[in-house]
Amino acid sequence: MAVGGVAVYGAITADRLGFAVIALGAGAGLLLVYGLAAASPPALVGALVGIAASWSLSAWTRGSGAPGGTILVATGIFVAAELSFWSLEQVSVPDEPELFARRAAGLALRAVGALALVSFALAALGLNAGGGLLLEAVGAAAVVGLVALVFLLARAGHEQAER
Amino acid sequence: MTRYSTPKLGGYVVLTALGLLASLIFQRPELALIAAPFGVLLAIGLAHARRPDVRVHLELDRDRVLEDDEITFELELDARDSVSRLEVLLEVPRGLELVSGRNPVAIRLEFGEERLLEFRFRCARWGAYRLGDVHLRARDAAGLFAWEKTLDRAETLRVYPRPEQLRELVAPRETQLFTGNRVSRQKGEGLEFADLRPFAHGDRIRRINWRASARRGELWVNEFHAERNSDVIIFLDSFADARLGGTGTLDEAIRAAASLSERYLIEKDRVGLINFGGILNWLRPGTGLIQRYQIVEALLNTEITLSYAWKEIDFLPRGTLPAKALVLALTPLLDDRAVSALLDLRARGFDLVVIEVSPLPFAEPDPGETGKLAFRLWKLVREGRRAEYERAGAAVVEWHEGMPLTAILEGVSASRRHARARA
Repeated sequence: MAVGGVAVYGAITADRLGFAVIALGAGAGLLLVYGLAAASPPALVGALVGIAASWSLSAWTRGSGAPGGTILVATGIFVAAELSFWSLEQVSVPDEPELFARRAAGLALRAVGALALVSFALAALGLNAGGGLLLEAVGAAAVVGLVALVFLLARAGHEQAER
Repeated sequence: MTRYSTPKLGGYVVLTALGLLASLIFQRPELALIAAPFGVLLAIGLAHARRPDVRVHLELDRDRVLEDDEITFELELDARDSVSRLEVLLEVPRGLELVSGRNPVAIRLEFGEERLLEFRFRCARWGAYRLGDVHLRARDAAGLFAWEKTLDRAETLRVYPRPEQLRELVAPRETQLFTGNRVSRQKGEGLEFADLRPFAHGDRIRRINWRASARRGELWVNEFHAERNSDVIIFLDSFADARLGGTGTLDEAIRAAASLSERYLIEKDRVGLINFGGILNWLRPGTGLIQRYQIVEALLNTEITLSYAWKEIDFLPRGTLPAKALVLALTPLLDDRAVSALLDLRARGFDLVVIEVSPLPFAEPDPGETGKLAFRLWKLVREGRRAEYERAGAAVVEWHEGMPLTAILEGVSASRRHARARA
């Protein structure tokens, strides 16, 4: 639902290329359905990338700057990702009712957290128009950090396999 | 415990990296904002991922049960640290059916919490099972890492075949030397009247038949049949098995063997077992409770082992087949080796009763005329085998699934009585 909502919202708010936006969103939705049915994490990631691309295309048609719906869209994609991976866990071993309730509450909390985080980031960076040097610096630092993280994880996994 | 990263970790790393890179490349801030929650969750999850500490205690309420009995398996979890999601999977061997309890199950354990998971199983099929192999998988709160552990603390559960109530047993033609419950043809101490004879020195006063003595004018004494035991060998053909669904001829044969051995042992007979199949096993004849358990244990370990080696009765050690023993063969008459071994036994003078555990309920003809013809031919071959046994002087009886064993035994006893009367 979150993915569908993002796709439809992106198509409605797009100044042009609405058909491409909705097509990209629909493709992502289908990929998500396939990923859930086949319990395939790569398909889920592909679907989430697709819906983010759909939204990004919609935003691009409206010119520079982060559009108003970004907060809801970012939260929606995050919630969709959390729900998707939660669904994959349920395929193998379903949660007992108590755990299910706790996890649902945890997910709601994370969704609120994501909402607050994106709102705060928008406000802090003053992102009404353009990216600016500050965003580029933050992005570059995050990318470097992530590459380092991937390297560390790969190394840890390799050491564990050797043991 | 083995730690590994979940697909979620890889997925979120990819999403974050792609979002930030695309944001830089396309100069689009909203892509960085979409990636931000994923990045933050990764950072928090990686910082707080801890190896879970859970102690596990397993307990099985009984280790010896009868078929269709229910057992309880308890799994006690003691968390030394909180675990956000713990998946518990108990390996259940085929033959045991879960009656209550969830398996697998995912639970949450708080710090210091003790949780008792109770599983109740119905023992649907006889056999020796290993129960207690438990797989645990814990995940951290963010679901980025998982720790797996397999507990190999299985206990052996023995499910004995439920013995059938047998009203009558096939009486052996010959008895042995030891005291038992069978009326021997020989005279001696016993309860069954045999004959009268004149009094001789040394005869006990209580054995004088006063009525006969009064009629004949001299002392006459009663003679009795001695009560002796007999040797019974249960011959189990485990070369081949006809199966359909969850049951087969071997299951029926094992149940029958357990029931027969129990009843003959109660009658104070010596009972032995020959497991004639791909793997040859035997138990020398014996009496008592220990022998009963040994036979049942041997039966539990019976399985069909594919073998092309030709086996004959000579392979058995001496003493396994005592002279004058009654041989009760439980066979589906599917393998020539068992068929010829039984004929060999009969040729050696053993009192042989063949209980044919019919494979027909477990076999279906192939579709088409050829299949039906082949099925009919197969049945004719089986009838030929039965006739061969009858010509050799052995009693053969066909036992179909669902028929009470006691009815089969009564039929065998009746046919043997008639055969004796004719002779």
